[in-house]
Amino acid sequence: MTAGGFAGSVLYVDLTHGKIEKGPLDLALAEQFIGGFGLTVKLAYDTIKPGTEALSPGNPIIFGAGPLVGTNLPSTSRVYVVTKLPTSGTIGWCGGGGVNFGYLLKNAGYDHVVIEGRADRPVYLKIIDDEVEICDAGFLWGRGVEQTCEALWEKFGRPTGVISIGQAGENLVPFSMAFIDRLSTLGRGGFGAVMGSKNLKGIMVKGSRGIKVADRKRYKTLSETFLQTIRDYPYLKEWQDLGLVKSFPTMIPEETYKRMKKRRVACVSCPIGCKDVVEIPDGDFQGLLKCTSSVLNLYTPVLYGFKDYRESIRCMATLDSYGLDMFEFFGVMGLAKALADHGLISKDSLDTEIIIDSLQSMEIWARKISLREGLGHILAEGFNGIFMEFGQEAKKFAPPLVKGMHPYAGPGCAISWDLFGTMELGQVLDPRGPHVGSGGSPTYFARRPLEVFPRHLTRMGAPKEAIERVLPGLESPDQKQELRVGRLLTYSHRWFSTLGCLGICARAAINRFYNASLCAEFYEAVTGIKTDLPDLRKRIDRVWTLLRMANVREGLDRKAEALPEKWFEAPGFKDYVTEKPLDRRESEQMIEDYYEECGWDRKTGVPTAQVLKELDLTED
Amino acid sequence: MVNYDIQVYTQMCTGCLRCQLVCSDLYTKAFNPSEARIQVITSGADCSIHFTEACNECGVCVDHCFHGALHKIKREAEK
Repeated sequence: MTAGGFAGSVLYVDLTHGKIEKGPLDLALAEQFIGGFGLTVKLAYDTIKPGTEALSPGNPIIFGAGPLVGTNLPSTSRVYVVTKLPTSGTIGWCGGGGVNFGYLLKNAGYDHVVIEGRADRPVYLKIIDDEVEICDAGFLWGRGVEQTCEALWEKFGRPTGVISIGQAGENLVPFSMAFIDRLSTLGRGGFGAVMGSKNLKGIMVKGSRGIKVADRKRYKTLSETFLQTIRDYPYLKEWQDLGLVKSFPTMIPEETYKRMKKRRVACVSCPIGCKDVVEIPDGDFQGLLKCTSSVLNLYTPVLYGFKDYRESIRCMATLDSYGLDMFEFFGVMGLAKALADHGLISKDSLDTEIIIDSLQSMEIWARKISLREGLGHILAEGFNGIFMEFGQEAKKFAPPLVKGMHPYAGPGCAISWDLFGTMELGQVLDPRGPHVGSGGSPTYFARRPLEVFPRHLTRMGAPKEAIERVLPGLESPDQKQELRVGRLLTYSHRWFSTLGCLGICARAAINRFYNASLCAEFYEAVTGIKTDLPDLRKRIDRVWTLLRMANVREGLDRKAEALPEKWFEAPGFKDYVTEKPLDRRESEQMIEDYYEECGWDRKTGVPTAQVLKELDLTED
Repeated sequence: MVNYDIQVYTQMCTGCLRCQLVCSDLYTKAFNPSEARIQVITSGADCSIHFTEACNECGVCVDHCFHGALHKIKREAEK
């Protein structure tokens, strides 16, 4: 018997042997690991053989959508992937707004899909309820992300959920991504290349089974009250009108945004919507229609020096089509330019000048990288490949790197943010490496008074005694008030894990309405699995610790989580509260605080035997 | 019998399918958008919304639309 919320099955696909099997979801396991992100981590831990190369057939891809996905609880569409990522070399997770993919996967009958092996030709996976087939993708290979998606929509009609990669993923560029419904990004760190290494161009899904909830009466009461809270939110219309522009009003003038906005797009079940369809209103690219995870993404080239927003949008349309990670692309190109300026890259190999703020130059280099043409073949290997080719001297020209990747926030990064909060530390301590939205908390917003933090910690599920550890001195007027960023990050990560396990969107516009207690109630009402807040906390700790164990097994150690030296060079990071320059010793303490708060060894970051026992993670 | 018409403003639709979710739940006791009596298809800047023959204009879809794509318009009294 299936608990409510869950679709009830796991789909196993072996691309090497062309085998497809369907197995029942292990409900006892689902209860232990909640579902969604959590159960995806567990399946990955059990499936990935230690030491597996990220781009080898032996590296499995595990997809998951949580038990709330497919219901009408607000913004419950998230889709997760866990696999070994080529750039960081870690067992990383990728999460994206599921648009249509999440609910259709669940409606097809699957909570998870486990894909192993490598097809002997380009293929896509077709999932239409029980009809699952590995199909020839010859007609899709060589096409961009959007073209692939459109081709599958044309073939199968709408609604169809599609995950696809572009040419960068096909050619194993370790900073390529996959896209959901050509909108949501999936996988900084090279998930696109992992799919490409399997000759897997895409996945399409249609489903018609429906999702039931266990306790309809309680669900109705809880959800109606919750929806009314959202309806009553005074800024609801502003969020709906502006999307993420509301979060960053200085980045895009509201008037410009309104001129180009064609439609707001929401993932299934989302009452707010933050995705955009825009059209360039004038100039050389007038009429270019771009669907995007957020219009903010389209301004990324502006952060790297583009002067004309229309060229910026065109550039992002090109990068998205190839399936390239925008931050990594610009980081790599910045390094390549520095190497060319200093003679490490010879002029002979540069048939196109590298001009970071030039659309023409960047589009050519995006093509060269994605198709591995000329010098593009070397740049396509990312920072590590460049260092191997041009030697250690190249490192001094590189931007700060974390787990082999270019962080997006911090000194020398796209967003030259200088206060060191959870988002900044989270870029280092999340196993997947730096990513937008890492370690969210009130520190997202600069200089918020410490008095607001306890409320947020409680909302994220932190117990009272932990709040005192995160904010020593807050309750004692005579004592110095502090914010322990490392300890706060523990609860930010747990909160994001909570949302991920259930299938709730992590974006601030919606997650602000949820809290951990409510999540426990929703989970219990939907699944019928008895769950109170302490139960939920324990299961989340189990998930996050198991992900740590998966990476410890791969050799992840404290050294791999050191902050880049360049973050301490002027103008480096500043302490979030005092705004004094951050020093190495303080940052080390933050990392140790984080480990300790997680129940891991303070010095090594390895989960202690005691915590493994408490979380029932001891190997038999 | 209802005393309103359902007015559709496709330009406001985001494709969130909250209407289909709640409709299917009401009539099939499961969240199954494929069984809903209202069907929404969005494609880039375009959107189409139609109602199946089974629709009885109960209006639950309107009540759950957060984006202003569906409205109940009161019918004028027959003269």
